[in-house]
Amino acid sequence: MFGRFAALVALVLLGDAAITGAPQAPSSETSATRQGSAPRSPRNASYAITARLDPGSRTITGDEILTWRNTSNTTASTLRFHLYYNAWRNSDSTWLRELALTGRPADEPQGSDWGWIDVTTIRIIGADSAAGDLTTRMRFIAPDDGNAADRTVMEVPLDRAVGPGETVNVQIAWSARVPRPFARTGAIDSFYFLGQWFPKIGVLENSGWNCHQFHATTEFFADFGTYDVRLTVPRGWIVGATGTERDRRDEADGTTTHHYSEEDVHDFAWTTSPDFVERRARFEHSTLPPVEIRLLLQPEHTGQADRHFEAARAALKYYGEWFGPYPYGHLTIVDPAWQSNADGMEYPTLITAGTAWLMPGHTEDPEDVTVHEAGHQFWYGIVATNEFEDAWMDEGINTFASARVMQERFAPTYMIRWYFGGFVPWVFRDFPRIRELDGDRLTTYRTGAKGDAPSTPSWRYWPGTSGSITYDKTALWMHTLERMLGWETLQRILSTYFSRFAFKHPKPKDFFDVANEVSGQDLTWFFDQVYRSSNVFDYGVDALQSEVERFEGFGDKQASGAPHVELRQAQYRTRVVVRRFGEGIFPVDIRVVFENKEETRWHWDGKDRWQMFEIDKPVRAAHAEVDPEHVLLLDVRSTNNSMTLTPQSGRAARKWSLAWLIWLQDQLLTYGFFV
Amino acid sequence: MSPAAAFREGLRRVNGAPALLAGTFAVTVMVSLPLAYALHGMIAAHLDASLAADAAASGTNPEWWREFLAQATGLGATFVPSITGFGAVLNNLTGFLDHTRPAATIIGVTAAWMVLWTFLTGGVLDRLARARRTRSQGFFAACGMHFWRLLRLGLFALIAYAILFGYVHGWIFDEAYGALTRNVTAGRTAFAIRLAGYAIFGTILLLCNVILDYARIRMIVEDRRSAMGALVAGGRFVGRRTTMVLGVYALNALAFLVLIILYAVVAPGAPRSGFTMWLALGLGELYILGRHYLKLLFYASQTALFQGALAHAAYTAAPVPVWPDSPAAEMIGNADSTESL
Repeated sequence: MFGRFAALVALVLLGDAAITGAPQAPSSETSATRQGSAPRSPRNASYAITARLDPGSRTITGDEILTWRNTSNTTASTLRFHLYYNAWRNSDSTWLRELALTGRPADEPQGSDWGWIDVTTIRIIGADSAAGDLTTRMRFIAPDDGNAADRTVMEVPLDRAVGPGETVNVQIAWSARVPRPFARTGAIDSFYFLGQWFPKIGVLENSGWNCHQFHATTEFFADFGTYDVRLTVPRGWIVGATGTERDRRDEADGTTTHHYSEEDVHDFAWTTSPDFVERRARFEHSTLPPVEIRLLLQPEHTGQADRHFEAARAALKYYGEWFGPYPYGHLTIVDPAWQSNADGMEYPTLITAGTAWLMPGHTEDPEDVTVHEAGHQFWYGIVATNEFEDAWMDEGINTFASARVMQERFAPTYMIRWYFGGFVPWVFRDFPRIRELDGDRLTTYRTGAKGDAPSTPSWRYWPGTSGSITYDKTALWMHTLERMLGWETLQRILSTYFSRFAFKHPKPKDFFDVANEVSGQDLTWFFDQVYRSSNVFDYGVDALQSEVERFEGFGDKQASGAPHVELRQAQYRTRVVVRRFGEGIFPVDIRVVFENKEETRWHWDGKDRWQMFEIDKPVRAAHAEVDPEHVLLLDVRSTNNSMTLTPQSGRAARKWSLAWLIWLQDQLLTYGFFV
Repeated sequence: MSPAAAFREGLRRVNGAPALLAGTFAVTVMVSLPLAYALHGMIAAHLDASLAADAAASGTNPEWWREFLAQATGLGATFVPSITGFGAVLNNLTGFLDHTRPAATIIGVTAAWMVLWTFLTGGVLDRLARARRTRSQGFFAACGMHFWRLLRLGLFALIAYAILFGYVHGWIFDEAYGALTRNVTAGRTAFAIRLAGYAIFGTILLLCNVILDYARIRMIVEDRRSAMGALVAGGRFVGRRTTMVLGVYALNALAFLVLIILYAVVAPGAPRSGFTMWLALGLGELYILGRHYLKLLFYASQTALFQGALAHAAYTAAPVPVWPDSPAAEMIGNADSTESL
């Protein structure tokens, strides 16, 4: 009720807004609303924004009207806003303090790189002017780490609290300096990619505000809404943004205002540059809705347009078939400028890919990054989890899913290395990329496997190893789950979870509940291991013996006289000792293969530190393996998973050390230049 | 003598010295084999009795390889997939041009090889300058006679290259390149700037290298003892015959490029097993032999140019190694002189 009233008052008060260029209050059904269709999301945080970019001073001046409805059961006596650009205001920000812990000081701002955002006025629309103006009450808070110097969260006390179900309209004017790109937002030369660029309200939950400071290794969380945005840029500059362009107007001052809008999204990002080359394609499918794909390419990458389109189509097809349809009907892919640090980022209906000038075919990118970011439309865009706290729910699940798409659609791809300043590629066709190692990232998981338990709020992960936990560990345990349950079951789990929590903010428990329900199994033990602990898995074969059975001593019928030794030629006694070297517990199979190719299998619950298995057979064992199907992809050492009685390590070592010898000799002769 | 004639003469001289080629190649093999053996031990120990060894022996086993790398340090850490096939060449060339610091163990063995090569340089240049067999006695006599002089010259070279790679390289590729590309948004533009950087640095490096080359040649051919004197003489020679010198250098660089391209075409990639493994090793070693050939060709053609230009083509003075008397003879001599006192 209050919401409708406020919106009405806002429209009266801002009756001349359209003329002056100020934004109008958005409603849940804007002029751009899909005709006759119901909202997909709660649309409780909607924005009408006007913004002007001045490339000369690299600043944005903006004005927004936020229509916010309290969907929690708690009363809001304050409003909290994210001011993400202040992460690069100075070196005291929490973001930069944390960045220093990642060991990437080269990424820190220098000279004119810094950026900021300042709210110039904030007022409640509909209240009388004195009570409505909240500008003097703004204050910065640091709910996560108490860093008084951090200005990424702003709080504003309200005169009149907003009760459950009530709506408030807030007008905010702000200005911002666009930084050199950090965290994939910013500007370099005339390339702008602008994400998290406007004052954005936090999420009010039943427990209170969920409005974290900006952290170096986590991303974002916001409520769904409609966005109606007018962006003024120099005339001739090409604009790409969340949503679709409704209209465009040339201004008298040599600028152009682009009007974009979108519904049922929880963020709005945009890009502009005079250099983009625009391409368009369409995704069509027999059972999925069509999608218009717009690609904004760097001029030097025009030859790679089809690769981007194919990757986007693959993501839309497989994610659509596996999880659910992509509902927006359009997707914009931005190919970011060289060294813009804007590659590989997702925003609703807008993603950045990333490639290189001399990128050869059958390599990781641009396909992998495009599939991954397009995949985020599903795991982040539609199923909108809290990236501050549960980053694994979008990044991890999406890493698993995009690796699966890459395997289905683009395999084989090969290892690539870049030489001479990182510009000249060489493809190593003897080294195909492997889903488990490269897609699920087992290799990088090893480096930070013990970093944190995934159940720890993501923003509290140790910055140096957060990626190993968020992306790699999740993708690996998801893939393990696929091998445990079968893809059909896992696919049903994911599609059920997707349909049940589309346009919502699910928590980890929601996912686990769906997994238990759909699989028909209580998987709590599994989630305890992989989610609620930082234990590392490492099973191995500790010993393998297979010898002719030897009897020594007194036989049953020979209790007196001298003990004797007897070789029972007919039988080989095979003993396998398997060991749990790590702390993680997972049930595993043990397989022994005999010289006549026969097999014997045992199942072990994997709980004790070791277990011996024994069998008598007329043939000698050839080798033994623990977890022979490699179900447990989180096993950090798979070399010790097997043992053979005819080792080939000498042969392998000779081959590879001789290959290395040539490299060393070439190295000597290269440095022979000096003598 | 024209650069082409010097190059042809260099070819003739190297072709006439197969023992020199075989010897220098053997030295490189001997220096590198112990390290390869050490790596062999590391790989064998890591694979142990695992089935992973079977896959690694018959093809590539990326899973094991990355697991190996995750725990490897020092020498083991240099065993990366990109050292296979032509990747080995690219790794080393880019490491050289981009001044990537090799692992400490590799620096050690490279330094040892360079000292050994410095020792051999006296004999090699002497052999190539004479264009006739000098036998091992003459060869090693020349090695011994010129070693300390070459080592002193090596100190000057060390200072020059340290300045080039320690300061000039950083200035060009970190500061200047960084500043010039700071706002560049196209990779190809940045690459063009980097290529210009390579050209500038390469030119300075080439000038430095060629002066040091001719300093070595003059030291051996003219029996110069002063490293400084040889350096000045080398610089003088390069300064007065720049075109000829650069012509010979360019022909040698072209030969190097041809070898690299050939190897890029035939390099077998990661070895398999059995015959293909030995074929890969054979092709690799053939390439290494080719690199040795080209190094000798560099020396020989530059020496031929120098000798041709300063009318030393008929330089045939026999080496006159002056050996110290044996301790016994020296004692007798001392006794005689004592008696006479």
